[in-house]
Amino acid sequence: MGTNQLDAELVKRVQNGDKIAFDILVQKYQQKVVNLISRFVSDQAECYDIAQETFIKAYRAIGNFRGDSQFYTWLYRIAANTAKNYLASRARKSPAYSVDVEDAEHYEGESGLKEYANPENLLLTDEIKKTIFRAIEALPEDLKSAITLRELEGLSYEEIAEVMDCPIGTVRSRIFRARDAIDKELRPLLE
Amino acid sequence: MARKDKSEVMGEQNKISTLLDEFSGDEQSYAALDDLLSDVNLQYTLRRYQMIGEVMRHELPDQLNIQFSASVKLHIDQIETHTRSTDIPSNLKGSSSLWAWPFLKPVAGLAIAATVALVSVTLWQSVNSGSPSSQVVDQLANVDRQQIEQLTNQTVPSEAVTVSTKINEGMRWTIINDTPALQQKLNAYLVNHTEYSNSMQGLIPQVRVVGFDSQQ
Repeated sequence: MGTNQLDAELVKRVQNGDKIAFDILVQKYQQKVVNLISRFVSDQAECYDIAQETFIKAYRAIGNFRGDSQFYTWLYRIAANTAKNYLASRARKSPAYSVDVEDAEHYEGESGLKEYANPENLLLTDEIKKTIFRAIEALPEDLKSAITLRELEGLSYEEIAEVMDCPIGTVRSRIFRARDAIDKELRPLLE
Repeated sequence: MARKDKSEVMGEQNKISTLLDEFSGDEQSYAALDDLLSDVNLQYTLRRYQMIGEVMRHELPDQLNIQFSASVKLHIDQIETHTRSTDIPSNLKGSSSLWAWPFLKPVAGLAIAATVALVSVTLWQSVNSGSPSSQVVDQLANVDRQQIEQLTNQTVPSEAVTVSTKINEGMRWTIINDTPALQQKLNAYLVNHTEYSNSMQGLIPQVRVVGFDSQQ
């Protein structure tokens, strides 16, 4: 049991027509998918475009997903294939339109997701990272250890309980309190 | 919807935190998942919790696309709307005749109209062109002459049975039979025919058709 079981349950609900369940899967895997695509494509805005196409393809094909493999394995395969196809089509295609030297300054290409790439967003992302690290530093040691073992080391609650020599319920509580404390600092930035 | 108190919210967020790490498949897990899927605030909370982990693992890119999942959702909605609009209505699925009828109806009407027009034009042309009808009349006249000769054992001059025809009032033929020789031959034909006819012989011998003129 674990996150794979949660994925399987969410997939089942998507297959039964629950679109919010798919939204949860998108939120859960978007950065991992973007990071995978960035190994094929250097431009970050293009990575987001390909990631979007990946999730749309996954949604359209999810009815045929039988759970023979893990959901994220299946999703990563779609992402890798979409990125490869993108590179192949870009190699075949000549530039869609030429850009004058005078216009080049304002040229933003064809991407539909490039609106997010702006100085304000860059600043916001930087602020989010700084806020989270600052909040972690401010955590009591037991909370900091618990969330670090969970998020960085990927240990299960049972393993953390063993490492920290405390009941699983305490681990669960410490991880939640750590997240809640960081979230209190993070939430105002995203609202 | 009733406003939740702080402890209730904390309790739900605690469950979401646990759900993010461990889905045990028990009743509580399913209840937490149901709450998550029905509460948009819990969905935002989950996203922020995920973001904390991504930042700690240095997975977050230099420029975060906060609208990414909303953009994916929008595209999926657009695709579904488009798919629905091009779908055949479910009540028409599986019934090809019903499905085809609305499209077939104007085509069938057009075909019928075209057929009627074609037949009308063909008939009108055949009525107006004299030569084919004249040929038919001449053939009929020739046959008549031969039959009269056969029955009466007399030679009938060809001009005697020249059936003068003129097409008048559509397809009706007017036979002009005003030659005395023809009158005589026709009378002879009728008398002989009646006398020697198998159908009438021996039954009513006294009744004889008296002549061509009375039959006219």
